[in-house]
Amino acid sequence: MEVSRGDEMFIEEIKAGNRMAFDAMVLKYKPKLMSSLVGYTKSHEQAEDLCQKTFIRVWQKIDTFRGDSALFTWIYRIGINLAKNDFASSYSKNSKVTDSLDFDAHEIPQYLSPEAELIAEESELKVMKFIETIDVETKTAFTLREIEGRSYEEIARVLNCPIGTVRSRIFRARQLILEYMKQENILNG
Amino acid sequence: MDKELEKISALYDGELTPKEMRETLKNLESNKEIKQKFKEFGVISDIFQRQSNQYKKNILYISNYMPKINPLITNMVTAAATVLVTLAVIYQLDNNRFQVDKIGAKQLSSAISSDEAKNQLLNADENIMEHMIHIMQSNESHGSQPLSQDWIPVGFSVNPRNPYQYSNGRNNLFFHLENKQLGITKVKYFRANNNWIYLIPLKDGRLLTAYGDVSPEVANPMIQAIYKRK
Repeated sequence: MEVSRGDEMFIEEIKAGNRMAFDAMVLKYKPKLMSSLVGYTKSHEQAEDLCQKTFIRVWQKIDTFRGDSALFTWIYRIGINLAKNDFASSYSKNSKVTDSLDFDAHEIPQYLSPEAELIAEESELKVMKFIETIDVETKTAFTLREIEGRSYEEIARVLNCPIGTVRSRIFRARQLILEYMKQENILNG
Repeated sequence: MDKELEKISALYDGELTPKEMRETLKNLESNKEIKQKFKEFGVISDIFQRQSNQYKKNILYISNYMPKINPLITNMVTAAATVLVTLAVIYQLDNNRFQVDKIGAKQLSSAISSDEAKNQLLNADENIMEHMIHIMQSNESHGSQPLSQDWIPVGFSVNPRNPYQYSNGRNNLFFHLENKQLGITKVKYFRANNNWIYLIPLKDGRLLTAYGDVSPEVANPMIQAIYKRK
């Protein structure tokens, strides 16, 4: 299951009606959802339409999200159910695929944001090699977050340093990686 | 500006206080540059997830269950194990580096991967657990005693570059021999995906640890032979 501890914070704020938190969540997950839906529908236009419907449904139903799965898993299920319904209705007006949000958990295919998909495998390996060159403290904080999904507090305990230091190190790692990607023309900007 | 971007990085991870979050969300809403940075953090995350996915799914994070096994193991050891796992994952991402660190990575992933291995380790004696950690953290030959040639399993031959590694062309076995038995009186073994770890107490008080992609069916005659020869 995808680990994303930080989503609890977004969920609480969205449940409290914070529209900006919802927008940030959309910003975070829309690229991934779009990629999943384009993969499913094979149509960018249809995927865009479904994506909008999905996030409207998420906004409406967020109070029913119990946190049994990762937030993106839940969003993904809504999106795929909507896509199935679209697909079914295009063949038969009477057929309808369930839009229950509680069907059994299943593996989410590895879809990436369109931006990430545009980056060639070779370039990704270059980025991974670059990450190895980052100093151990910075690299370890970053990978504990990205691979293990550890909270800052847990990382601070593991590395025996203040939470603020963990936050700085993770940010520093991201900055260094972005600088490298731009310098190597892996990412435009 | 860097402080603002640091908050955006923490926002991406959901690690801000409610007050900071509200302030940062306002910035995100109104500042295109900040919004772009937030998206870029997502791209990095996607790349990292894709590249590490094939490795991380084979690894259970030892720090999750070590304290349950042995509360006496210090946080320091737990921390070391966590960092070790994390770094092993990174090293495996680089093929050249992986070859250099292959044995360590093999030990590590074979010993701690799979739910079955986790459950077995949870039920294991704490001394055995410590021994497993020792095996995981030590180099192949470090601290190990010379092996008797009588113990070479039938069909297996020694790797000329590593006197503790044996292969029959298809399967590999690595050995550790130490002056301790950890209270083990019978052979114990642990399964971890396609790898098995055998703890073989010898009659002279030493412990032979063998691990590799050798199933009990294949290992059993070897173990029997070791006992007969003794």
